[in-house]
Amino acid sequence: MQLSSRTYDVDSISAVQELYHSNGWTDGLPIVPPTEDAVRACLDWVMMPPDQLIGIEPVRGLAITVEKLAVNSVMAGCLPMHFPVVVTAWTAMMQEPFLIHGATASTGGCAVLVVLNGPVRREIGASGGFNALGNSDRATAAIGRAIRLCLINLMDVRPGAIDRSTLGHPGKFSYCIAEDEEDSSWLPLHQQRGVEKEASAVTVMAAGAPRQIMNEWTTRPEEILETFAAEMRANLRHYSIHPGNYALIIPKQLREHLQAAKWSKTDIANFIHERARIHRREWADVGKGAVVRDRGDSVYPAMESPDQLLVVAAGGPAGGFGAVIPPWLGNKSHAVTVPVGVCIDCEPPKS
Amino acid sequence: MTFRVLDPTAEKTAPLGQAAPRLDTLQGKTVGFISNGKEGTKGFFRHLERLLREEHGVAEVVSRTKSNYSAPADAHIAAEIRRWDAVISGIGD
Repeated sequence: MQLSSRTYDVDSISAVQELYHSNGWTDGLPIVPPTEDAVRACLDWVMMPPDQLIGIEPVRGLAITVEKLAVNSVMAGCLPMHFPVVVTAWTAMMQEPFLIHGATASTGGCAVLVVLNGPVRREIGASGGFNALGNSDRATAAIGRAIRLCLINLMDVRPGAIDRSTLGHPGKFSYCIAEDEEDSSWLPLHQQRGVEKEASAVTVMAAGAPRQIMNEWTTRPEEILETFAAEMRANLRHYSIHPGNYALIIPKQLREHLQAAKWSKTDIANFIHERARIHRREWADVGKGAVVRDRGDSVYPAMESPDQLLVVAAGGPAGGFGAVIPPWLGNKSHAVTVPVGVCIDCEPPKS
Repeated sequence: MTFRVLDPTAEKTAPLGQAAPRLDTLQGKTVGFISNGKEGTKGFFRHLERLLREEHGVAEVVSRTKSNYSAPADAHIAAEIRRWDAVISGIGD
């Protein structure tokens, strides 16, 4: 297996760090040295040749090859078994509805939220429990970071270069979660979006920072979900009025009230679709009266249809918390779900 | 201990994005504006059109607005470019 990347011989681990930092090849944190052996191990795991094309970046015609994804994944701390998820996430990001250039270049400063479903989660130790949106486990931390390092190095998505984010958010270091499928009676996200339950899948979404909510004072689904809807209305008022993919992260405590009342994810989405909407005139309440014009009575729902809502069961077992993850900017980018297409359960071939 | 490590960048120059030949003059030319549609483009392009016409003798200004300000120009706009002598593509942030 012949790799095509240029090589550098470096004398020490600290010199490796300085080489990568000084060239602008990192996110500012130390990296794992991407040696040929480590990169080959990733390629072996997905059983792909180094020049396997994952896609062509549509605006500048940049080829995204699996070798380069592997180099950056090793740097991020990925193990070979994590690599199929990175490849699948990038396959999803290269689909036209994701609008990868806009989503990664925009002043809006979103990050790529990656949601894992199916058996791959347990194989790689991806946790959907405690601290789900933070540093919950090694697998999601490294996979999320790999997505960012690939953007930086393969598409020049560096701050001030292609990345024109005004603020960005912490999810741009790593933004990957696994759904807690075992402790939920709901359909997992990938099944809700048309993938077989037994398959593993990756969903990507151009996403803003999580907005946390709390309601520990009711067991009624309508009241619990009204809190989520109110946060979405706030986003419609304060950020963007345009409909698109929103994600709701619902941890166990609130989830159990909803499940006890027999509310499915579809029921939740239908309720949220009705409640998470504002009149355009409300923009005048928050200092944006100049763009209300003669459309004050127009109603803007957070999603065009209920199926634009991504409901994810994740989070620690206690606490009446939840999170709304808003879209980068309405429907400009659409969430994409792709099954993990490699033989994730196979042993890597003997070299 | 010596590490042999790999370059993480694309290493290949993007095949697109070559600059068009420069014009010798703007006198009598047709200039196309491609706006991304943001609010800030309106005043900017109005002012620019006046400058081009009054101070540089541009004959015609054609204004077009993208349907999605975060995506490349729509195909029908891109198809018009060949009828223009120059293009100014602007964002309104």
